[in-house]
Formats: sequence, structure tokens, C-alpha cells
Amino acid sequence: MKILIVEDEKDMLFAMSNFLTKEQYICELADSFAAASEKIGIYQYDVILLDITLPDGNGLHLLQHIKKYNLQAGVIIISAKNSLDDKISGLDLGADDYMTKPFQLSELNSRIKAVLRRRKYEGSSMISFNEINIDTDGKELRVNKNKVKLTLKEYDILMYFMVNKNRVLTKEAIAEHLWDDNIDLADNFDFIYTHLNNIRRKIKAAGGQDYIRTIYGMGYKFTDE
Amino acid sequence: MKFLSKINRQYLIVISLLLFFVSILGYFTLKIILQKEMKEDIYEKEYAIIQEIKTENRLPNLYPIFETKRVVSIKKEPKSYQDIYLKDEAEDELEPYVEYTNTVEVDGEYYVIKIRHSLLENDDLIMAIALPLLLLLVLALIASFFMTKKLNKTLWKDFEENLRYLESFSFNDKKKLNLKDTGVLEFDKLNTTLEVLTDKLQSDYEVLKQFTENASHEIQTPLAIVLLNLEELLQIELPEQSFKQLHTAINGVKRLSSLNKSLILLSKIENKQFTNNQRVQMNDLVARRVQEFEPLLEQKKLKFSFVKSTNSFWIDINEELAEILINNLLSNAIKHNVQNGEISIEISEDSIQICNTGAPNSLDNDTIFNRFTKENSQSYGLGLAIAQQICGRNHLEIIYLKSDIHCFKITK
Repeated sequence: MKILIVEDEKDMLFAMSNFLTKEQYICELADSFAAASEKIGIYQYDVILLDITLPDGNGLHLLQHIKKYNLQAGVIIISAKNSLDDKISGLDLGADDYMTKPFQLSELNSRIKAVLRRRKYEGSSMISFNEINIDTDGKELRVNKNKVKLTLKEYDILMYFMVNKNRVLTKEAIAEHLWDDNIDLADNFDFIYTHLNNIRRKIKAAGGQDYIRTIYGMGYKFTDE
Repeated sequence: MKFLSKINRQYLIVISLLLFFVSILGYFTLKIILQKEMKEDIYEKEYAIIQEIKTENRLPNLYPIFETKRVVSIKKEPKSYQDIYLKDEAEDELEPYVEYTNTVEVDGEYYVIKIRHSLLENDDLIMAIALPLLLLLVLALIASFFMTKKLNKTLWKDFEENLRYLESFSFNDKKKLNLKDTGVLEFDKLNTTLEVLTDKLQSDYEVLKQFTENASHEIQTPLAIVLLNLEELLQIELPEQSFKQLHTAINGVKRLSSLNKSLILLSKIENKQFTNNQRVQMNDLVARRVQEFEPLLEQKKLKFSFVKSTNSFWIDINEELAEILINNLLSNAIKHNVQNGEISIEISEDSIQICNTGAPNSLDNDTIFNRFTKENSQSYGLGLAIAQQICGRNHLEIIYLKSDIHCFKITK
């Protein structure tokens, strides 16, 4: 999978590309409007991460370039502005998703995967981890061929784990993934714990293993290591 | 005091003083002139009496105006003037006279001539001068009253119109200050100065606003960099103590960022950057929001009741803001609630009331909406400030009612 990261802030650019490279993506970097529009004109990408506030131009204009030369690329706008207007005009221009800075890498990963799935990459809509299989089209979980019924929130949490396997996820990161930005969740994220226990119970009942490791009561990791 | 009244008052004081001095001067001048006239008159009469004695050999007498007497004494008395009072039979009062006494020699005989001249009474003289001047003063007063009234209507009309315009002027409207031409040099000069001044202030205000907004946005990027790197550190196998420190650091950055977002939101609401209002049905919106909060309700084991009237509560508002408003009130009701507490929502045709149980606080309706007012460290104290701003900008009233439970009521 080839990703183009358009971001004028160098530290931001490297943090994202380091992470995505580790996640087995091939990353190309553009730190200006000019560099980005040149790359978009020449190469093909699967996903383009687009910062819309660039020093030498508005990233939204790059979207029009992308739609012209890189039609198959999924676009995730990354903006410092949490502005609904920008979000709407970005999505209207054909972006697939809109993220507000600051965000977490696990969240970015989850959004990229979602864009790829929507664009039917990775062959199928099936996500698997050992005996656990998720059909993202039907939002269906099977453990050892046994169908497991999950609530919507439980499904979202499990998906988040599966996409970010072997990564430490704090309970705040999980809660933020489930609820939109506008909700002030206070400091208490213990309700995540209830959801996790339900998932563990249901998977075990279907004969699956518990892959959710608790890390010092502050974070979780979905792993079989 | 009005400008014109002030000027008028000064004028009247000066005029009164002038009139006072003029009347004193007038009094003495008149007195001197009258005295001169009187003496001439007496000399004429004396001459006439002497002629009478010479030609007619008669002593003319007309009391009290003149008296003539023959005297034997040759002692010639000098000319003398004397102020005397004589009783006036007709008016039965003492009248002032000047008595002129002279001894003259006609054909070897000596005569004493007394000529009396009635004097104007001093009061009469004063009256004669003061009355017209007083009348002048009164007339000037009346004239100035009507002139002020008329000038206030004409000359000051434009000025006061401009003043009202200025009072309602707001930088947020992004309109140029446009004052009416008054045709009065000083006023127009003031208008020009004001226009130049507001233009400058407006551009300064815009720059400052832009700066605050940009600064707030720019802060998000370094925060994002911090967060991304801390999150990567979290992936290393760490001892519990280090993990905890890292976790605390991450949450600190998140708090900072969400605080910053709240401030951006507040300034956006204040700058009226939320447009495209639409008619929003609050009943459904509240129900949807409540669903989102369900896990939080369950966690605190809160008893929840929701009463809706048959007629829905509609408001004209930007839908995003309506959601933020309800979110903030709901999270407030949950955050400050107690374990096993209660939340009740009541929606009527023209109001929403959200009540919750909770610990008593020292806040009241005047202080609870202030920024950074908080009872515990869990919150930033911006949620209710934002809620109030949203209500204020959308013609809604929000009040805090405190009894044994805490209630927020929004009314149209």
C-alpha cells in the first residue's frame, strides 16, 4: 500500500511516516503544496493524507488535482481546524475522511484501514486474527466459525483492536474512538472496562482465546504474543 | 447639562452682570445730567425774576417754586443749594426739593430769591433705568429658551442621531462606521476623526482576532507532534512507573488540546462564525444525544427520566451548536452527579429543563456561567460558558435554578 503524506510540519511528517512504515505501508512525503501537486501528477497512491493548511496553498485545491490524476486514492484530510465548514467542503470535494489535530496514530491507522476497506483493497472485506474473523460488510464476527453477536459499540472496539493489533491503546484513545469530539467525557473512562469484559466473555463462550491484555490498568493491547 | 444650556447659562450670567453695571453707570450719568439741567433751569428762573422786579417792580411769588423777599440787610449772602423736603399737600407725602437761595441787588435794593426745584425721587430714577433693563433680561431669557429648543431640534438632531448610531456600533458586524453629515464644521470634524479612529480600531481588532485564532490553531500542530511521539513511546515495554508517567503526560496534552478547542469554539461563537441556522427539533436531538451518553449514565448508575410534551420544541439554530449545547449540559449533569443519582429532562413547547442531583455548590446564576469557574478540577469550567454563549447568540435564555437539585432551563 502506498501512502502520500502531505504535511508542512517536518516533525509531524516524520512521526506519521515512521509509524506507517512500521505498519508496512510505503510512505512518500511532501512538505509543500508544490511538492505534493508534483507527486500527485506523476505517481499513483492508495491513500493520501492531506494537511489543508499549507504555507504555499490551500490543501483543498490539491483535492481537485487528486480527483483528476489520482482517482483511486483515498483521501484523509488532516486539519488543525475543527471546523464543520472545512469538513463539509472537504468531503464534498471527494475526501473520504477528516481528522482534527491532534490525533493518535492508532486512530489514524484505523481511519486509513477503513478508507482502504471502503475502496475494496486488501482483497476482501474480511479481517482475521487467528480464530477471530470479522466480515466488515455485514459487521459480522465469527470465532471458530461460530457466529457471535456483538453490540455496535463492542463491534467498534473489537475492530479498533484488530486494526491496531500489537499496539498499546490507552482507554482514553478507545473512548475517543467511540465517541465524537464534541462529547466531554470527563476523566472517567471506566465504562470501557464493561464493554471489554463483554467482548472477552462472548469470544470465550464461542471458544475463542482472550487476546486483550490489560497494561497496568491504564491501557490495553490486542496480541497473541 | 446640555451643551446649549451651558452656553446659555454663561451668556445670561454675563449679560446680567453687564446690565447691572450699565444700570449703575446710567443712574449716575442721568443724575449728573439732571443736575445740570436743573441748574440751568434755576438760572433762567432767577433771570426772569430779576427782570420782573426791574421792569414791573413786583415781587413774584409762587410757592413752593419760587419766593422773592426784599431785605434791608446789606449782608450779601452767597449763592447756596440745599436739599430739603417739603410736604406735598396733594399727595400728602414729603417730596425732595433743591432749594436755591441767592441775594441779588436790583436798583440799590436787596432781594433774597429762593427757587425750588422738585427732584425726581431716587427710587423713581432707579426704576426708570432698571425696569427696561430687567425687561431686556427677561426677553433675552425667553428668546434663548426658544432658540435652544429650536437649535436642539435642528442643529443637534444629526449629532444625536450619530450618537445613537455610535452607541449601537459593534466591531463584530464588520461594517464601516458611516456617520451622517451634519453641516457643522466641529461636528463633521469629530465624525471624520471618529471614522478614522474606528477604522484603525477595527483593523486592529481584526488582526488581533485573526492572531488569536491562528495562534490557537497553530498550537494544535505542536500538540499533535507531542502526542504522536508520546504514543510511540507507549509501545515500548515499560515498567509500570514509566508507563504511568507517560500516560499522565499524554492525558495532560489531551487536556491542553481540548481546552484549546473549547477556547476556539467560544471565540467562533462570539465572532458569529456559525451561520446557516435551521429549524431544529430539539426533542429528537436531545433523545439522540442522551443515547450517546448512555454508557456514562450506566457507569454512575444514574436514574434517568425524560418527559416530552406532545408539541415539539423548535429553535432556529446551527445544528452543530445545538448539539454542543445539549452535550455540554448533559455532560455537566453527569459529571457533577453522585453515584446512584438522578437526571431528569423535561421538554415543553418552549423550554428544556435538565436537572440533576449533585453535591451542593457555592455557585449561583450570576457566577456559574463564568469562564473557568469550577467546583472541582475535573472540568475546565468552559462547558457552561459555551452553553451560555450559544444561548445568547441564538435568542435563548439559560438560567440556573438551585434547590436540592441543580437545574438548567433554556427558554425561548
